[in-house]
Amino acid sequence: MLEVRGLIKQFGGVSAVNNLDLSVHEGDLAGLIGPNGAGKTTFFNLVTGFLRPTKGKMTFEGWDITGNKPHSVAKRGIIRTFQATSLFPDFTVLQNIIAACYLKPKVGFWEEALHIPSSKKKKEHILNRALEITQFLGLDEVKDISAQSLPHGLKRILGIAIALAAEPKLLLLDEPLSGMNAEEVAEVVALIKKMWQRGTTILLIEHNMRAAMSLCQRIVVLNFGRKIAEGTPEEISRNKDVIQAYLGASGHVT
Amino acid sequence: MNRWAKPLRVSGYSTGVIMLFLIPLFIKGPYTLHILILIGINIILASSLRLIHTSGQFSLGHGGMMLIGAYTSTLLAMKLGLSSWAALVLAGFAAAGLAFLVGFPFMRLKGIYFAMITLFLAAIIILNAEQWRGLTNGSSGITNIPRPDPIVIPGLLNMNFASKPDFYYFILVLTLATLVILYAIEHSRIGLTWLSIRQNDSLAESIGVNTTALKILGFSIGCFFAGIAGAFYSQYMSVINPSTFGFGLAIYVVAYMMVGGVRRFSGPILGAFLLTLLPELAAGLERYQPFVFVGILMLIIFFLPSGLIDLPKYLKRLFTRRSIHA
Repeated sequence: MLEVRGLIKQFGGVSAVNNLDLSVHEGDLAGLIGPNGAGKTTFFNLVTGFLRPTKGKMTFEGWDITGNKPHSVAKRGIIRTFQATSLFPDFTVLQNIIAACYLKPKVGFWEEALHIPSSKKKKEHILNRALEITQFLGLDEVKDISAQSLPHGLKRILGIAIALAAEPKLLLLDEPLSGMNAEEVAEVVALIKKMWQRGTTILLIEHNMRAAMSLCQRIVVLNFGRKIAEGTPEEISRNKDVIQAYLGASGHVT
Repeated sequence: MNRWAKPLRVSGYSTGVIMLFLIPLFIKGPYTLHILILIGINIILASSLRLIHTSGQFSLGHGGMMLIGAYTSTLLAMKLGLSSWAALVLAGFAAAGLAFLVGFPFMRLKGIYFAMITLFLAAIIILNAEQWRGLTNGSSGITNIPRPDPIVIPGLLNMNFASKPDFYYFILVLTLATLVILYAIEHSRIGLTWLSIRQNDSLAESIGVNTTALKILGFSIGCFFAGIAGAFYSQYMSVINPSTFGFGLAIYVVAYMMVGGVRRFSGPILGAFLLTLLPELAAGLERYQPFVFVGILMLIIFFLPSGLIDLPKYLKRLFTRRSIHA
């Protein structure tokens, strides 16, 4: 589905991503882990077009998406969430999701400006889809609350809801569990599993090792912009290089 | 209650519009009509500036765009002998076209930087109008601009634009048409997308919105109406001069928009109405007009950041808070 070959991104003399090869297959629930500064978020930014790669090639479902603008990558079906909470603060929860739903079905401008019946039908369709998403992610109780007044955990879930409303084929989640308490973590882990079971391919960055290990079938480990390991959670937890990257060169646990 | 809300609103609006059409029957004084005509022009300017603002971009170039409209219309009518109506529409497209062209580089900038570059653009436009004497007659301006071509429907309508009421009807129809179009755009999918861009443009981009293209579209549509307003102004005044469209005008338009309130569609309408009328009420104090203006603007910014349109809400809150303390 997503094929990345020889991807390089240099900031000045520093290589944030260094000659990276990575594939995501349809139906994957894959994790991208690594110490701080390993280049994980930079990789997301490169794939989604928020940064231009220095070198390398990326294709999605056969389309070359190297150096494309973020909106055209999104239209191909790659939707990302952000590490920092990112939503439309002045809208209500439901409006946030509707705004994202609106981008997909083509409601003709004139149809709508002139209030032609078929646009009403499409509007209803969008509203129903948005309501469905709020229900699916457990946001229906807060759907009429302004987004900026939500508690942190729900803000993060709304971020995922917005991404989901844009109908992703491949969903890139950037630390979906950051800043959450144990209860919220369990809830979001369950949600991610549910989205995956409904057929969305997911690649996620996560620092919560236990959650990442329990969620993902396949894990890629980055360190200093290079891929140092790839495999099932068990393989990764036994991998020498990974242990070294996380615990330091000596490998002693104190 | 809901069942009657819509019919009530519709009948309210139609009564208002009918009353606006009847005004010239009761007000004969050309001076009052002149003020009303200026209010119309200012409503078009302020409301179209707000349209640009819905996508999060703040333009200080509306005066320059109005100049483009005024000169395009005038030159097309005087040098090429075009019908004034065609010239009016083309004036809008000239301003929109310029906005579209500069939109690509300009939309890389946000906030205050976008405001600055639009201000520079307006300055360049005015300098060009002053220096390109062969075309524009320089800073002495163009005089004897022809009136709009007469509209004659035998037995029904005979407008030759020799009198103020004819111009009043012209600007009334123009303003209402502008407002209807702006309202429809704002309540369409494009309007919703602009609002989402204003709140968080990288999130909008990440879910597939071509934010650059949409911002350019908003800027072009807003400038289209500034161009139309300029064309009307030139036909109405029959004299134009580059200095009319300078920095001062851009600031005034911003003031109409901010004082009325940017968040609501009716905000700029109220702002343009009050701030055009107010200095006229204090005639004779003309020299102090800028001070009054700045004073009002600062009071609004400090005490009513969402604009005069929210004054009732603000007062209500103020009084309920008082009663709690008492």
